[in-house]
Amino acid sequence: MLQVKNIEKYYGSKNNVTKALDGVSFQVERGEFIAIMGASGSGKTTLLNCISTIDTVSAGQIFLDGVDISELPAKALARFRRERLGFVFQDFNLLDTLTIEENIGLALSLNHTDPAKVGVQVRGVAKKLDILDILPKFPYQVSGGQKQRAACARAMVAGQSLLLADEPTGALDSKASKNLLEIMTKLNRDLGATILMVTHDAYSASYAKRVLFLKDGRLFNELLRGERGRPVFYHEILDVLALLGGDVSDVI
Amino acid sequence: MCWHCWGVTSVTLSKLSLRNAQRQAKDYLVYFVTIVLAAALLYAFNGLAVSQELRALSRAMTQLPTAIVFTSIVVVCIFGWLVAYATRFMLTRRSRELGTYLLIGLEHKQVARLFFLENLAVGGCALVLGILLGSLLYQGLRAIVLALFGLPYQLSLSLAPKALGLTVLYFACIYLYALGRSRRRIRKMKIHDLIYFDRQNEGVVVQTKGKRRGLFAFSIVLGIVGTCLIMAGSLPLGILGAGCIIVFLFGFFLSFTSGVPAFFDKRPERKYRGQTLLIFRTLTAKLATMGVIMAILALIFTGTLISEGTGMVFRGLFEGRAAENACFDLYIGTTDDVPLSQNYLDYIQENIPVEQDLLYSIYQGENDQLMDYVEDGGEDYYRYFDQDPVMRFRDYAALRAIAGYPPVELKPGEYLIHCRAYLGKHLSSYTQPITLGDTTLSPGGVYTEHFLQNYDTGNGQRYVLVVPDEAVVGRPVFHNAYAAKTVQPVTEPQFSGLYQIYETLEEQIKDPRYYDEIHTKAQEAADAAALTAMTVFPFYFLALALSMTAATILTIQQLSESEHYRRQFDLLRKLGMDRGEMSKALGTQLGIYYALPAVPPLFIGIPFILNLANATEPGVMVGLSSPPAIVAIALVLFFLIYSIYILLAYTSLKRNVLPD
Repeated sequence: MLQVKNIEKYYGSKNNVTKALDGVSFQVERGEFIAIMGASGSGKTTLLNCISTIDTVSAGQIFLDGVDISELPAKALARFRRERLGFVFQDFNLLDTLTIEENIGLALSLNHTDPAKVGVQVRGVAKKLDILDILPKFPYQVSGGQKQRAACARAMVAGQSLLLADEPTGALDSKASKNLLEIMTKLNRDLGATILMVTHDAYSASYAKRVLFLKDGRLFNELLRGERGRPVFYHEILDVLALLGGDVSDVI
Repeated sequence: MCWHCWGVTSVTLSKLSLRNAQRQAKDYLVYFVTIVLAAALLYAFNGLAVSQELRALSRAMTQLPTAIVFTSIVVVCIFGWLVAYATRFMLTRRSRELGTYLLIGLEHKQVARLFFLENLAVGGCALVLGILLGSLLYQGLRAIVLALFGLPYQLSLSLAPKALGLTVLYFACIYLYALGRSRRRIRKMKIHDLIYFDRQNEGVVVQTKGKRRGLFAFSIVLGIVGTCLIMAGSLPLGILGAGCIIVFLFGFFLSFTSGVPAFFDKRPERKYRGQTLLIFRTLTAKLATMGVIMAILALIFTGTLISEGTGMVFRGLFEGRAAENACFDLYIGTTDDVPLSQNYLDYIQENIPVEQDLLYSIYQGENDQLMDYVEDGGEDYYRYFDQDPVMRFRDYAALRAIAGYPPVELKPGEYLIHCRAYLGKHLSSYTQPITLGDTTLSPGGVYTEHFLQNYDTGNGQRYVLVVPDEAVVGRPVFHNAYAAKTVQPVTEPQFSGLYQIYETLEEQIKDPRYYDEIHTKAQEAADAAALTAMTVFPFYFLALALSMTAATILTIQQLSESEHYRRQFDLLRKLGMDRGEMSKALGTQLGIYYALPAVPPLFIGIPFILNLANATEPGVMVGLSSPPAIVAIALVLFFLIYSIYILLAYTSLKRNVLPD
């Protein structure tokens, strides 16, 4: 579904270049739940921004369902984002002036969905995420966990094929984090949602089926959960993270 | 470490104030520009008030300083309110910063002084720039006044000390009032209050949602009723209607945020159509805390429209009257059939060289058949006479020559009509013969040049029938008149000499009360110029101050949301809204925001201007002074000034919110 081919990303001017991504390549199959891990400054958010077309790559290509998104013009990119991608941010990014229902409906409204069907679709996804009762409320009237579930609902209500989550549990307490991660797992398992989640938290990453590790802008390691239980996978992730603290040559 | 130990001297504080003042002028550029313009307006108009040169133009101009100073006091109150509002607004926005000064050890009085000094620095700069700009603006106003009097203009740039003094005094009043309030507020505030002061909004006046919805519905009904009452045209109903509209404005803006979401909640298919959701929610969120101020701004815009319209009605009235009354170099008319006093004729013979003159009478017709026709045609007409006024063709031909009009012909057995231009079309279709004694005459043509037909002392009121000389033999006289073409325009002292004769006669003859009208071309033009300057300038001065104040408040409110909008549009961009759609949404949002306080004033302002223009005597308000033209010009002027502010806000917001 998603193919990232040897992408590079540089920031800065001629004399002061920072390499945020350095030859990153990987593939994501439909229905996968992938976590991208790495320390601060490792390039994970840059990678997510490039995939989400918010940022452009300096070199390399990104294909989504066979379309090279690094080649699309601005208008087509906007359309691509609203039709194909769903976003969940660390700080929720819900609009304060809109109710929860309207925040979710906004994604449909931007997609020019028949206005008469918006309400039905919003309630349908809200039921799955257990936020039906907070639909008429404004974001400041609900908890962080509820806000993040609303953000998830917005990310998938328009039938987006890829859900991109940037530290989705970063602003949540442990109970709300667990709740959200279980919901994301359910979305992935029951509804077949493809999820790409950036996180620096091993516990969050352990909910994924596959974990990619980034270090200094390069893909450093990859872990597959396979048939193992989540606690075992969690410890494996911690082991890799411990290695990440050392020299790259130690693990290759 | 305390500030005193660290050596926070007044020098450091001054530096900080200066730096903050620079930042303030940059952040609130629109406000700064308005304050500069305020100073410029105050200086320019007060320059007019104290100018000896302009006062010497006409006796009537001596009232100009009173009119300008009185208007200046009103304008100072308006600008005072603007500065107080903007200062409080900036205090709210910067309260966290000021709280931080307190937190790190500055004393309350030092923070208050800091805020005072930086605002004073901004005000001082605005004053200096404004006076420089004002001296140019004054030259523009001076040129207009001289043009009104038909005098040549010569540039003479200099600062008028009296106008300068008045402007500094007005500015000191404006700033000391606003800053005194802020100073007291800061001194009383606790650190916590200051740090969280920016979270305070205008209090929600109507608390419960149900009441707000009720108020919304009620205010809409009142708005419709008020508009209908104003449209009805009568004064008592108009006042009642204006009252309804004022209540509507407050009710509407206080409940708007409740009524509109309720409307869309019941119609979700409309809410999710296009960009409606975003636009209406952004607007209601902004207006939720601006109810009272929006209603006040709507009232200010109403005041602007009314001021502009009233100024133009007066200008039209004075010009229209002057055009009609100034058709002869000199004219004296009596009200009754008393002969014109010989005193006038003696004075003219001694003092005013005359090229051609005529002493004549206006006679009573047989009946009022033409008057009936004028009234039946629905034309605006007030009856002064019981019979149609009639004059001899010989007198008419002479008067045309005196007025400088081309000669006309009267065929045997015919009569002519000379009337005000507004009646021309209607009277051209009059085909009935008239009878005077044994003579029956048929219509021979209609003429509509200015002919001094405004009053019962003129050449017929609105119209006169011109008949063969023999037809008026033996007819009773309405009144007598004298018209002359002079060698030189009649001067102001000569006019005064004639007027003194009238005053003496009026004093002597009490029964029946003696009354004459004296008109000279030169005096009419000078009076019209002076009256125009005395009424139009103050009204426009007021209109400018009002519109600038309201537009500035709306703009600084809008621009203060730049950061909020930037975050919102950044999210929308991520969610896939393209730039064109975002630009459109921002434009629509801004358009509605600026239209909201500007549309209701149209429902009060337009009927008011139309009614005022129609209240003048008929036939005066014509051409560019016709009621629809006045409304159109007032609207163009109003939206011209307003659109400058809207454009400034839009470009600034677009640059900050939707960077390329």
